[in-house]
Amino acid sequence: MAKGRHWVALWLVAFLVTTWLVYARQTAAIHAARELADLRARRANLDGHRADLERRIRAAESRAVLVPRAQARLGLHLPSDSEIVLVPAPSGSH
Amino acid sequence: MARSAVRIQVVEFGVLVGLALLVGRAAQVQILQGRRWAEEAQAQRTERIVLQARRGTLSDRHGTPLAVTQETYHVGIAPNELRDPVADGSLISRRLGLTAHTWQEALRRRYAYFAGPYSALEVQPLRSVRGVHLESVLNRFYPDPAVARATIGRLGDDGVGASGLERTLDSLLAGRAGAAVVLKDRAGREYESPARVIAPPVPGLDVVLTLDAELQEIAQRALDDALRRMDADGGDVVMLDPGTGEVLALASRQRDGTARPSAFTDTFEPGSLAKIFAAAALLSLRRVSPTDHVSGEGGKWRVLGRTITDDDPQPSLTLADAIRVSSNIAIAKFAARLTPGEQYATLRDFGFGALTGIEFPAEATGRLRPPSEWTRPSAASLAMGYELSVTPIQVAMAYGALANDGLLLQPTLIREVRDASGGVRYRHRPEPVRRVVSRGVVERGTGTEAALTNFPVAAKTGTARRVVNGRYAAGEYTASFAALFPADQPQLVLVVKIDNPHKGSYFAAQTAAPVTRSMLEQALAARTVALDRARLSTAAPRAAAAPADDDAGLVPYVVPWPYERDSTGVGGGPRRVVPDVAGFGMREAVRTLHRRGFRVALRGWGVAEHTWPAAGDSAAAGSMVTLFADPYAAARVRSRSPTPPPRGPRR
Repeated sequence: MAKGRHWVALWLVAFLVTTWLVYARQTAAIHAARELADLRARRANLDGHRADLERRIRAAESRAVLVPRAQARLGLHLPSDSEIVLVPAPSGSH
Repeated sequence: MARSAVRIQVVEFGVLVGLALLVGRAAQVQILQGRRWAEEAQAQRTERIVLQARRGTLSDRHGTPLAVTQETYHVGIAPNELRDPVADGSLISRRLGLTAHTWQEALRRRYAYFAGPYSALEVQPLRSVRGVHLESVLNRFYPDPAVARATIGRLGDDGVGASGLERTLDSLLAGRAGAAVVLKDRAGREYESPARVIAPPVPGLDVVLTLDAELQEIAQRALDDALRRMDADGGDVVMLDPGTGEVLALASRQRDGTARPSAFTDTFEPGSLAKIFAAAALLSLRRVSPTDHVSGEGGKWRVLGRTITDDDPQPSLTLADAIRVSSNIAIAKFAARLTPGEQYATLRDFGFGALTGIEFPAEATGRLRPPSEWTRPSAASLAMGYELSVTPIQVAMAYGALANDGLLLQPTLIREVRDASGGVRYRHRPEPVRRVVSRGVVERGTGTEAALTNFPVAAKTGTARRVVNGRYAAGEYTASFAALFPADQPQLVLVVKIDNPHKGSYFAAQTAAPVTRSMLEQALAARTVALDRARLSTAAPRAAAAPADDDAGLVPYVVPWPYERDSTGVGGGPRRVVPDVAGFGMREAVRTLHRRGFRVALRGWGVAEHTWPAAGDSAAAGSMVTLFADPYAAARVRSRSPTPPPRGPRR
């Protein structure tokens, strides 16, 4: 009898351990999935932020914005070709 | 006892039958219908979803993104799941830009859906709000929507390229969608567990275009300004690299502000722009010599029942004069020395009447009729640029052939194709179509308004009457301009076309030429424009080395006269005036002589004293000029000449 009870207890323990392992694995997987989703969201957010900044930088650097401001605030003008001097690089320089 | 035994047997039989039925049913369900039930169960628990592939990026030649794919979101709201409808509602309305009325409407529904699409930045604060469900979707964005809009094109509602390069390159850009399986609960909601990927999505290839975003902006702004100033119906600008056939900028604009790709699709009669091709045919077939003159007929010539006129009558003209003053009479007379077949073949060789082969979904061939369909005046008309319709891109490529030693290249908009890891899958190599002629034609041209002070520009104007409903419309003109910059070893071909300017002059020299000048000046001053400044810097001090016989303001053509097939023309080149280099340092004196096309032999060292042939004499381009130098020459030169030789740029 005692031997049979031991077997039952052993099976019960094995069942509980297996169940706990499955539960723990599932829980860890769900946590990992949640973390992955959060990271993806953060990456998407950062990508969006970068794209927005690039767009704003490009808009600020565009001739449509820069030229009128340079003319109005700094008194600059678009140079005619006679005002552009291209200095030849010495031979052998990079 | 016997009765109980019978009862037991009955019960046993009943149990056996029951078990048999159970086993039979189990066999039916598991074995016979097993596949169907398994599929049904899987369908209830799982869902197959499509994983969108990221569409490839389109960028300019410097890597500036022109079309990118980004993750965006549709937003679903379940009002009954909101913890604090007032506070959450305020946040949601603010982030999604909803009016109070729209939000109240949403609250009355079981599930409100806002398609957006909303950017990651907009929805970021909503991620932690209970009751807000985000559905991510990849979307196409154009960081600067106005840049090369017609060339780049757009996607259709189905996400497939509908126009422009988005359409042509769709198979490269689209990538391949993947698939995954997700778990669902009884209510059909997805479990928060990772999806099982069946096939990963394959991202599309990234395409680096030949366009230069800064040149493109310069071209668009210059064209917009010109159309506004001239109150014109429309216009086009094409810029390309003659050495590679790479298109650097393409701007098209119509009066109503739309930007359809008319540089590829709309044809026009080139007028005087085409005279250069008749001249090329005459020279390559040796039907004219440098000294051949034809009469200018006092500016009016009646031939084959038709009167041809010149705006700038000349008593007599060489072929070079015919191009320089854009004489209709002279070019028509010279062109009579060609057979119709020769004239047709030359125009065809320059690419007219045929597709250029550029990677664009729509392109017009233009019209070049075969000689069998010509009328008697057709030869003269074609020489003057009439009875011929061309697209701006065809003209640019034909002038590119002149700049490229007569080699016609296939134009391209694609520089590189890269995979997602950055590996180059394709890189453009210049693709010759055919050799048209070996060298170009004339020494000078019209186009004063495009001339720069320091940088030589080779250019030709064209002003042609417009055809409306099959007839020439009174008072309507197309002004066009083709330029090679710089004239020596051109790096840019520019073609500007202005349709029907209403304000001011309609002549190309006063309309299209100043636009070209403005664009060139801006391109020179820009930091990132695709110009080889090292080569330009050696060509720059044109004023310092300006030949004495160079008329100020005229735009020189740089190709030797007379034309020499497949030769550099050494010894037989044009005669040029030897510049005065007395007092120059040796290096500067040698450079000055080289720029004038002479070879130099040195005698002595120090400061240049004199040359042989002497300054002011003429010598054939490519011939040897001996430079005599002396360390004490500077003092002697100063004593001879009170004014130092000009070295600065000529203004």
